[in-house]
Amino acid sequence: MAAVEDRISIQLQVNGRQHQVEVAPRWTLADVLRHQIGLTGTHIGCEQGVCGACTVLLDGEPVRSCLMFAVQAQGHHVTTVEGVTPETGLSPLQESFRDHHALQCGYCTPGMLLTAQALLDRNPTADEGAVREALTGNLCRCTGYQFIVDAVLAARDQGRDE
Amino acid sequence: MAQAMRPQMMGARVSRVEDPRLLSGQARFLDDIQVPGMLEVAFVRSPHAAARIRGIHTEKAVQYPGVHAVLTHQECSVLLWERDTYKVGQPVLANGEVCYVGQPVVAIVAENRYVAEDAAELVVVEYEPVTPVLDMRESILEQPRRVHPEAENVFFHKKYATPGFDEAFAKAPHHLTASFRTNRQTAVSMEPRGTAAMVDAASGRVTVYASTQSPHRMREDISHLMEIPEHLVRVIVPEVGGGFGMKANCYPEDIVVVAAALKYKKPVKWVSDRMESLETDVHARDDIHDVEVAFDGDGKIIAIRDHLMADGGAYPAYPFSGAVGETSLASRVLTGPYDIPHLATEIHCTYSNKTPLGAYRGVWGPIASFIQEGVVDRVARHLGLDSAEVRRRNMIRPGQFPYRNAAGMVYDEGSYLQSMEEALTLIGYEGFRARQAKLREEGRYLGIGISVFVEPTAMASSEAGSVGYESCTIRIEPSGKVTAALGLGPSGQGHETTMAQIIADQLGVRFEDIVILHGDTDSAPFGGGTGGSRSGPIGGGAALVAGRQMRERLVKYAASLLEAGEEDIELGNGQAWVAGVPDRSIAIRTIAETAYTNVRKIPEGLPIGLELTARYLPKRPVTFSNGTHIAEVEVDIHTGVVEVTRYAVVNDCGTLINPTIVEGQIHGGVAQGIGSAILEALHYDEDGQLVTTSLLDYLLPESTDVPRIDVRHLETPSEGEGGIKGMGEGSLIAAPAAIVNAISDALTPFDGMVDTLPVTPPMVLQMVSGGRTR
Amino acid sequence: MKPAVFQYRKAETTREALEALGTNPGAKVLAGGQSLVPLMNFRLSRPDVLVDINGIEELTLVEKLDQTLAIGALVRHSTLSQHPLIEREVPVLAEAARHIGHWAIRNRGTIGGSAVHADPAAELPAALVALRASVVVGAPRGERTMPADEFFLGYYTTALAQDELVMRFEIPLPARRMGFSEVVRRPGDFALVGAYVEDSDAEAAVTWFGLGAMPERQVVEAWPKGQDERQALLERLAREVQSDDEYKYAMAVNVAERAYLAAQKEG
Repeated sequence: MAAVEDRISIQLQVNGRQHQVEVAPRWTLADVLRHQIGLTGTHIGCEQGVCGACTVLLDGEPVRSCLMFAVQAQGHHVTTVEGVTPETGLSPLQESFRDHHALQCGYCTPGMLLTAQALLDRNPTADEGAVREALTGNLCRCTGYQFIVDAVLAARDQGRDE
Repeated sequence: MAQAMRPQMMGARVSRVEDPRLLSGQARFLDDIQVPGMLEVAFVRSPHAAARIRGIHTEKAVQYPGVHAVLTHQECSVLLWERDTYKVGQPVLANGEVCYVGQPVVAIVAENRYVAEDAAELVVVEYEPVTPVLDMRESILEQPRRVHPEAENVFFHKKYATPGFDEAFAKAPHHLTASFRTNRQTAVSMEPRGTAAMVDAASGRVTVYASTQSPHRMREDISHLMEIPEHLVRVIVPEVGGGFGMKANCYPEDIVVVAAALKYKKPVKWVSDRMESLETDVHARDDIHDVEVAFDGDGKIIAIRDHLMADGGAYPAYPFSGAVGETSLASRVLTGPYDIPHLATEIHCTYSNKTPLGAYRGVWGPIASFIQEGVVDRVARHLGLDSAEVRRRNMIRPGQFPYRNAAGMVYDEGSYLQSMEEALTLIGYEGFRARQAKLREEGRYLGIGISVFVEPTAMASSEAGSVGYESCTIRIEPSGKVTAALGLGPSGQGHETTMAQIIADQLGVRFEDIVILHGDTDSAPFGGGTGGSRSGPIGGGAALVAGRQMRERLVKYAASLLEAGEEDIELGNGQAWVAGVPDRSIAIRTIAETAYTNVRKIPEGLPIGLELTARYLPKRPVTFSNGTHIAEVEVDIHTGVVEVTRYAVVNDCGTLINPTIVEGQIHGGVAQGIGSAILEALHYDEDGQLVTTSLLDYLLPESTDVPRIDVRHLETPSEGEGGIKGMGEGSLIAAPAAIVNAISDALTPFDGMVDTLPVTPPMVLQMVSGGRTR
Repeated sequence: MKPAVFQYRKAETTREALEALGTNPGAKVLAGGQSLVPLMNFRLSRPDVLVDINGIEELTLVEKLDQTLAIGALVRHSTLSQHPLIEREVPVLAEAARHIGHWAIRNRGTIGGSAVHADPAAELPAALVALRASVVVGAPRGERTMPADEFFLGYYTTALAQDELVMRFEIPLPARRMGFSEVVRRPGDFALVGAYVEDSDAEAAVTWFGLGAMPERQVVEAWPKGQDERQALLERLAREVQSDDEYKYAMAVNVAERAYLAAQKEG
């Protein structure tokens, strides 16, 4: 059977590592991260940019990986949840999520963590309003958000003390 | 006399053992299951609410590069039919007709989802549309037609009245009527549904990965529907990204995936996309209640008559219809926490050309609370009384337990009045009215709404559990570490943590030394799964009973090996010792070594090894949690937008296993309640097209839509094991009623009262413009 | 929900982009992708060729030229909302940009993409009309410029030809007092109704969005100082716009009143 489409070879820089992958132009960044590169921490929840489960960082900025094609990510630095996880243990923000019970089913959690991490990197003094506003693009069906907000604020305070 | 247990983990705020893998992106959800050669499925779905199928042409799709197979009803003709209960069932792939938009018609099996969707577009189905049945009241009258020629549209009908109802109702000095409407909503777990299946070449068995709440139920359904002996089916539930009742059913897609894997001997996977999820995950809450209330001049409610109607959709969801679930139990808890002597109910559940109705967290509860609390507020407004005071006058008193309500349900002990009084204090009810009056002068409309709820939990036959009991196997390994397995199907509730807490206390081993297995029918003992708020009280009860039995065995070992009386043995921190003589101790690891390898030393009468399974069936068919929610809202009367500004909860779910996890459940339920009250609605147009097929149309609460929630706990233990009551649903049961009552309160100057869920800005504007300003 | 097959062309210059558009009648421009890619995932849009303009530097410029502010088509919402020049010269545009979608959406979405998508409930098309911006369009035949109110033709419809590319927007910079307000169910949602109200010394006008099929700027002689009189005028203006929902008129008047009050704060 003839293939329905050509594949092209691209270089992706993900979590500081170069990956050479063969992709169809229509494959979204989310699908390629998950199925070609094997980073399944990036989750897919709506494929129209509303739910935020697929959020990754592109050159440090949160973006929807379901609304980008993998070919577009060439030349950029992509960070996924695997990339913000230390080799052993958890990052201070991840620890704070655990301490504050900021996750239940955990499906939205990677996107939530990346958005929150990007916020704290930019605005180390973000108040509750700023945290809530930054997280509006990440839907969580389990937690009611309160413990997530608490976790981010606590991580912020911890960062200040250091 | 065995040493009294000293629980240390039960009730503790323990961090979850599930979290590290979820936080680091290492957890494995359904779509993360990937094996070599795996094929993916896309479905061709009905674009019509009702149509006859005149032909299906799949030739082009079959020939499309990358397509492995195309299935129609001819290739896969399983019927999702609960024969003894309903007259009709849904064919997993449409057979000659389609009955709702989104119904699966053809399945494409291809090398990946992209290619499968390409091929799905090449399938031509010839439809001959027929008039859809869309209106519940008309459907009852068999208008405009029967949905299924072989069955009446009303598939469930029931009438009930307390003796002397008519007389009591007629003699009451005051009456009011109201009609309540709940619009369709659905669970929207962040992880959509999905199933993968593959044949195990070695054993010839089929392994099914399913994103479900009930592994054994799924195995039973697959076995029963596909006529495969149960021992040849293994169901594995990977990490589940939310379920909320919606993942308690067996769906057509589950069966098609298994059939394809068996037929083509290839691993096959289907994962729902969000459009499929909104169209075909079971819907919920499509109900109308026509209510009449009789009460006296003090606000004491004497009698309620309710005509309950629910639109069950095109087919009964398998194996149970949500319409029956929503109405029949609502009719039995309609009087809530109030001592209302008379009740008369009539139920009609009907077919329509809409998506089947199933379970969504709380099922009957949010609807019953919406009615019951709406009735109380109407009585209060009718008589010009304070609504908290009317609640006080009607509330079941502490001395009345166990209380048999007008529908015959027996409530175990609860803290109804206390929960309300504490919640009123927590929110500052006293000061609110003055604040409200002052702000109203500035053109700001604040409102407060009270919702006192009862939550029937741990039902002996819950909607998710085919059985009323739960099972727990405990195995102390030769190393002294513990493996325990349960038939639960958690989807974020943290059972690996809470069950380990319970077992740690019983065995005296460290919490960290216990691993909880669940969700694999090969390792877990048969059980009902998760749903109906049963995992804590019944699953936890099973863990407790199994733990106690294992403890007894450990005590026997220790007594024998330490040459002491059983009554003198204490367990803790991985050790057993003689009370008061800590030097005379033995490590549980040493006991385990003895049990497995040094078997000659095993005390007489004990079996080799440390492994047992216990099953726990609660004595009471149901245990009631309770509590009170109070919401404060601000209504913008110029735009109709409602903001929930403050929120207080006093919750009583008996003995707490892990207060933090309980609070997480409450927060989440309140958030869903805010969605239910003011945001979420599935909307069909006049042709039966679902027009809310994306998350831009079906609005979930965001982080800024949910206020801080102030939670306090009361603990009235159940009579069951550990005093545990269920609590997964109570917060969503209570919250919508609290919020809509607050909106009604805010709009008092315009006379309106909310009678529809959810309340949208246009509805608020209509209430404002329709009412007169006092 | 996966997009149909397409060919991908990365354009490094506007010339390359125009060439790719000109030679492929089924081609579409990929800018931020925050409106187009969802449509493609739903297969409601299925271009044969996708021309990715994200690498074209000249489309990302924000510059002040005399009494005009030029904003490149590829300027992202996050830039609009915090660019010093925009904050100073047209603060209402920065304010509106902050209300678009969510953070991750604003990091990718572009002003050109939003204009071309022409969602009647979107903030930016109405802003361009309210600000009397000009749309500079590149075509194989050369550039052409048109006023924003001639660019938007109806629901999701613009005057842009298939082989054309929006290059930039030019916003005149007279002394201006303008306020913005919108009604949303949740932050980041498309507006149920929104309005820009101008109350400058030389101009008084209202531009709604979410009310009709496209943004429309209605000019009045002056805004009455009395609230009742002003609201009566707003109601009359709103009713001139064809809306499919009767309830939106009441909302529109109230939201425009808020925009008017916001304009007063502009000094």
